[in-house]
Amino acid sequence: MATDSSPIAGTFQLAGRAEAHPAIARINDNGSVQIIAANDQRPLHYSNAQDMQYGDIIPGLPAELIFADGARFIPTDASYRWPGLSSAKRLPAWLETHWVAVLAAIILVPGFIWLMVHKVIPSAASASVQYLPEFVATELGEQTLDLLDRFYMEPTQVSNEQQEKITADWHAILQRLELPEDQFRLYFRASNIGANAFALPDGSVILTDGIVELMQDHPEQLNAVLLHEIGHVEHKHSLKTLAQATATTMMFAMMFGDIDGAGEMIIGAGTSLLQSAFSRDMEREADAYAYTQLHKIGHSPVDFANAMRALMKSHGASDEQLQGNGNGEDNGKELLEYLSSHPDTLERIKAAEEWQPETK
Amino acid sequence: MNPSVSSANSNAGETRTLPVIFSGKKGEYLKLWLVNMLLSILTLGIYSAWAKVRNTQYLYGHTQVEGHRLQYLATPLQILRGRIIAVILFGLYVIVSSLHPVANLVLMLLLLIALPWLLIQGLRFTLRMTAYRNVRFSFDANYGGILLHFILLPVLGALTFGLAMPWVIQRLQKYIHDSISFGGHNFSLNSSAGYYYKAVLVCIGLSVLYFIALALLGGGVFAALAAENPAALGGLVIIAISYFMFGYVIGAVYQSMIRNHVMNNLSIDGVVSFNSSVEVKPYIWLMLSNSLLLIFTLGLAYPVTQIRKNKFLADATLVNLQPAADHLVNTVDDKYSAFGEEAAGLFDADLSLT
Repeated sequence: MATDSSPIAGTFQLAGRAEAHPAIARINDNGSVQIIAANDQRPLHYSNAQDMQYGDIIPGLPAELIFADGARFIPTDASYRWPGLSSAKRLPAWLETHWVAVLAAIILVPGFIWLMVHKVIPSAASASVQYLPEFVATELGEQTLDLLDRFYMEPTQVSNEQQEKITADWHAILQRLELPEDQFRLYFRASNIGANAFALPDGSVILTDGIVELMQDHPEQLNAVLLHEIGHVEHKHSLKTLAQATATTMMFAMMFGDIDGAGEMIIGAGTSLLQSAFSRDMEREADAYAYTQLHKIGHSPVDFANAMRALMKSHGASDEQLQGNGNGEDNGKELLEYLSSHPDTLERIKAAEEWQPETK
Repeated sequence: MNPSVSSANSNAGETRTLPVIFSGKKGEYLKLWLVNMLLSILTLGIYSAWAKVRNTQYLYGHTQVEGHRLQYLATPLQILRGRIIAVILFGLYVIVSSLHPVANLVLMLLLLIALPWLLIQGLRFTLRMTAYRNVRFSFDANYGGILLHFILLPVLGALTFGLAMPWVIQRLQKYIHDSISFGGHNFSLNSSAGYYYKAVLVCIGLSVLYFIALALLGGGVFAALAAENPAALGGLVIIAISYFMFGYVIGAVYQSMIRNHVMNNLSIDGVVSFNSSVEVKPYIWLMLSNSLLLIFTLGLAYPVTQIRKNKFLADATLVNLQPAADHLVNTVDDKYSAFGEEAAGLFDADLSLT
């Protein structure tokens, strides 16, 4: 097989010792290799083809011949490649020396990440949260509330009378929707985040004093907001977010964890950017839940639209913005939408106003 | 191409002083690194074990002394196995510690106890997988020694408000280097704590000078800022840049002094010693330009910075080989688990030698 029987100059490195000799390797027709000393032609080593292997092929480095006992023959010519080298052994070095491979992979990588992040992980997360035992949600909810109470929230200033009124509405809604009341709890808290409401995985819904005050004359708006939060709980959004975040972070850590330099940056930025994309979809889902249930209990999704307007206003939006007259200057809108965790509020208001129950 | 190999044996009998030759090329390594990174990503990290081996083989193989290349002998499967075990343990740790606060405390304690062991295993693996002329390095520190030098002495250093810290660092580096062996012969590092104090004093002196200059210049800038002079903004930018650069200057001064001192006093009796002549000014430039390269390429120039640094350090190093070096015999077998090293990496307990 080896027509190339011209001698190859190199170094013979003895097994397990520092001793080395300038040497010449000859490949015989049957693939066996004879190593002889360069100076006095004395035989140093003989090996059958099956008793030796080739070292890894690394760009710019000689291809070593490694014998069964650990001795090595290292060709002097770093570009010499043994005739017996398999193409599998040559493949990595071929890829590593061709920009085509770099470019192809650069195009493949974003597509692969997109597929994982937008398709594979979300559906896996949605499917897997069904199997999470109940205590995980309970534990998570309690710990989160505890944490929030300790660092971000103060006891409420809302009057008992007001609290009782809202709680009564809350129970009425749960009863109308035939939801198990023991799985939902309503809390009032003071917080400097302004008018807001949020849901925890265990069915706890928290209203800030800001939102109670903002909607004290419009209980129907507050009910719409509560339905939105119940939507989050019913769709297990917190758990899905957690599962997705964990899976995504793990994936990024697995993919980029070993890359010094860029690794940490990519993991951090990528994860938080994608997180906001997940949560936009979930907001839409919770909105849709609120519209449907409002309709079901004989109210209109317009309540939700009004609640959103009130919230937007309380967070500093001008009347003009509320009219939706900002079209001309919205070039960066899509990017901003991707960066913000809530879909464009005007869009949500519009969606609520145009909502029609599905005809059966 | 390698005439030095043939001369090696004829010169036997006297000490040979030899340069360290690093032949890695920036473009070549950049391509290799990129392809390996992309393959790692596309295989969800599995290929990263192969990537690590190939990257290291490139850097080692392009480092030669007397025509012999440094060898990296770890196999990808060895690293993959270690990595999988470490990842599973790390996952369990994260899950258990996030679900149960008490378990978290117990695990943290266990991790703290395991930390010196992980440090030893990590360095031992790296060194045993490093060979020169088929003779492997090794690392034989013990648990108590690591505990003393990595935990107890630094605590002592902190208790003296840092006054003893240069001494602590000298002891620590001495302990680490003294624990390394090659072909059954131990390295010994005859460093002096006095030199570490000198290096620290030089850095403190430079800092004092810098902050005096900053106070003078900064005073002017803040006065201009108060007067709402637009030039003040430029002044602020200059101060910020100078502060950023100053960090590298101090780092480079300290590192070059210590590197020279350590290498010049490191030897295996009758086998090998080193000469290191890292010059401060070029080293500052290297560190500074490398960090700018990383910043402006979002880290993608990392392989380029590695090649630049390896080349720079190789050029500043001479190896004195004594005749006994030609007759060393390997004393380390190749069965060794990569778990310790991988776990050390995951728990951020890596130790680097340079």
